[in-house]
Amino acid sequence: MTINQISDVEFGEELPVFTPDTSLDNVRRFATAAGWAGPRFTDHEAARAEGLPGALVPGIMSQGFLAAMIHRWAPESRIEKVDTVFRAPVIVDQPYTISGVVTDIDEETETVEIDLTVNNEAGETRVFGTATVRIATPA
Amino acid sequence: MDIEALKEEFLHKDFDEQTFEIDADDVVNFALACGEVAPRYTDPGHPDFQAPPTFASSFQAGRRMPEGFPKIPGLGMDAGKAASLKYPIRPGVPLVGRTHLHDIYLKTGRSGPMTFLVMRMELYDPDGVQVATADTSVVIRERPGK
Repeated sequence: MTINQISDVEFGEELPVFTPDTSLDNVRRFATAAGWAGPRFTDHEAARAEGLPGALVPGIMSQGFLAAMIHRWAPESRIEKVDTVFRAPVIVDQPYTISGVVTDIDEETETVEIDLTVNNEAGETRVFGTATVRIATPA
Repeated sequence: MDIEALKEEFLHKDFDEQTFEIDADDVVNFALACGEVAPRYTDPGHPDFQAPPTFASSFQAGRRMPEGFPKIPGLGMDAGKAASLKYPIRPGVPLVGRTHLHDIYLKTGRSGPMTFLVMRMELYDPDGVQVATADTSVVIRERPGK
């Protein structure tokens, strides 16, 4: 179910899990558009030469995945603030899940608070954070 | 290291200013790569076409630290990013980003002492209206044995 107004939102509601595209081609596309096309993000060998386990998904791309999940759930919503902590690397070409849960609802301001996580296949949290989201009411 | 002295000398003083041009193709590629499906982020012909909110996090200052800031020994890593949006970021509307050191604090974790630095970039449109704020947190972990 997509969310169109604040009364649609339930406390504790889990947003539909989103599986992001972490392929090297997609990360290169992102890194070029964002102006972050350094070799640690676009080349596995170059990243390994830096002592990393492989090319990294930029932290701001993980943040973008989290925002996309929110917009898929509530297409007309507006993210007022998103705050993310990069706990551990997110590696290119590896599978991750993007998830969120509603932790607060303010009917007066029509905003919700959402806890956000990026987990790897082992269920380990790599990125976590919170978002304040205004749920737009259709005119 | 005297954190209070560093705060007194460096906090809340702009040390960098950059102008950013926002290109529509870059916005579309940024949005699609992140998995956005809303046309206001992916279709330049949409009447409300704008950058996804996290686009604010992609802007980089010309220098990482204020001039004269002492080198803190240890291993530095990005610790996080935060973006706050007051108004949409729109292609074709250049933004001026002014950066200051917003906070410095210490924590002690299982791996030892850590220094956190928070750089804040405030983004303004050509009318001087603040559009967004982007925070970058850097953690410097003291190397083991030091």
